[in-house]
Amino acid sequence: MGREIRHKTRAALVYRFIMYLVFGIITFLTIYPLLWLVMSSLKTTQAFQMDRLGLPNPIFLKNYPMAWKIGHFDVLFSNSVFYTITTTIVVLILSFAAAFGFAKIPSRFTGFLHGSFVIGILLTLQSIMVPLFLMTNAVGLYNTRIGILIPYIGIGLPMGIYLGTEYIKSIPDALIESARLEGAGYLKIFFSIIAPMTKPVAITLAIISFTGIWNEFMLINILASKEAIKSLPVGILKFSGALATDYGKQFAALSIGMAPMLAFYALFHKQITQGVSAGAVKG
Amino acid sequence: MLTLEDSVKITTSKGEERWAYWLLVLPAVLLYFAVITFPTIFSIYLSMTNFSGGQLFGAELTFVGFRHYGEMFKDPYFWLALKNNFYIILVSVFGQIPIGFVLAYVLFRKLVGLQNFFQTMVYLPNTISTIVIGVMFQSFFSPYGAYTELLKKINPTYENTLMLDPNLAMIPVLIVILWMYTGYYMIIFLANMQKIDQSVIEACRIDGANEFQTLRFLILPALSGVIVTTAILAISGSLKSFDLIFAMTAGNPARRTSVLSLYMFDNAFRGSPDYPLANAISTFMVALSFLLIIVVRAVEKRFGGRE
Repeated sequence: MGREIRHKTRAALVYRFIMYLVFGIITFLTIYPLLWLVMSSLKTTQAFQMDRLGLPNPIFLKNYPMAWKIGHFDVLFSNSVFYTITTTIVVLILSFAAAFGFAKIPSRFTGFLHGSFVIGILLTLQSIMVPLFLMTNAVGLYNTRIGILIPYIGIGLPMGIYLGTEYIKSIPDALIESARLEGAGYLKIFFSIIAPMTKPVAITLAIISFTGIWNEFMLINILASKEAIKSLPVGILKFSGALATDYGKQFAALSIGMAPMLAFYALFHKQITQGVSAGAVKG
Repeated sequence: MLTLEDSVKITTSKGEERWAYWLLVLPAVLLYFAVITFPTIFSIYLSMTNFSGGQLFGAELTFVGFRHYGEMFKDPYFWLALKNNFYIILVSVFGQIPIGFVLAYVLFRKLVGLQNFFQTMVYLPNTISTIVIGVMFQSFFSPYGAYTELLKKINPTYENTLMLDPNLAMIPVLIVILWMYTGYYMIIFLANMQKIDQSVIEACRIDGANEFQTLRFLILPALSGVIVTTAILAISGSLKSFDLIFAMTAGNPARRTSVLSLYMFDNAFRGSPDYPLANAISTFMVALSFLLIIVVRAVEKRFGGRE
């Protein structure tokens, strides 16, 4: 008996070791390209051509300020921040307001309207980029910030309404009824009672919207050609074509582009992964 | 109990109720219909007309029926793109989903330590902008990139033609897709495994089931709905793939790494625009994604939700 247990624990140890090995290798494969990128960004282009894999020696930092200047990263950053924050706030307000209506005010239109939003979660947006481009042009919003914000908000609504409605439904009706009896209107109830209670789902939605819009490329790529209104992902692409042979600057630019999201992930990785699984519930 | 005063209040509030409903719901509805619903329907209409740029609303358009769809189905590049979409689905179904599942299981059963660290690392590529990843791997797999150098260490005469050879060009793209999204499926599986009652698993283990039996007879059946869901996610994910390939290869060489969305983009925005064809492709993709929605609904009924 004793030997069996010892045997078992040894097998378990070997087993565990293999698991560590597997996860170690997968983790290494995941981070290696990113490490290579950062390492290469710290070399001059000549040093990179001499040694494409080794550690940077000496460390060369000048690629970063140069890439920053060439890429107009100051403009790109402020635009990305503007699009991301504005979209997230408007999506939160509009979708939770509608979600409150759907969840707590009976109406025969709710089935159809709420249903069309839920379909929107699964619809592949890529399929409507051409009509969106044509329409944006037709109404004169091409190359304007508002012409980018409107589709961004529209895209964010389905998930917001889905998550919001589910959540607000779980708030007891009695709470709303008693406020009604005290003479409060629905708008007042929304802002003073419902909105503060939706904090957990608001955080989830804010994170889904934040990461989605920050990394959004497809739409802004076709809706904006003016440098002044481009966002980070579109701006980065400049380093793929014409500047592709200036490796040092290209790698520095990519590292700059990657940094904010990595910082955001480092701070909120728990909430981000929670948001992913909540979002994936409906595709 | 309602007092008389209360019931008066409630009857007079019926109108206010309706007014409040529309006040709350209408802004979102209008925006959504303008941005998503209308373009979806409008592109079906445009795909059957001779619209070729110029004035969009109020112009006189000739109805041409399904002509552009015929063009699309005759175009070899359409089939090339569709085939690549299919490859992406295969990588998901036979790569990301099983690997993601196994990783999630190992983390869930705590068969390895440092669970939070490993989970964070495997999911990490999902958080970075796809464009950054695309450009980075363009360099990584290029003749001057790390991939070539590493292979030269093993075989000094190695010549990297991965990104140039039309027959091989899809391989690096598929590797990157596997690299990027395996963590996504892992997170989904992990979240759903954590919904399973721990005490049932403990009981199972005490009854003498080994790790494999627990997986086979308890975890897998409990997650069958989720597995089907991830397969559907993989198909819709393949339809959504655009950014990565746009940044990494732009569909080249010789458009051999194109996918449906890129094929549509090429027709609408590269060279002289062919909007009706682009809209036909768009409608084809909408139809595919609606088909998926119907399948999702059927699956939800069959498996009783997504738990």
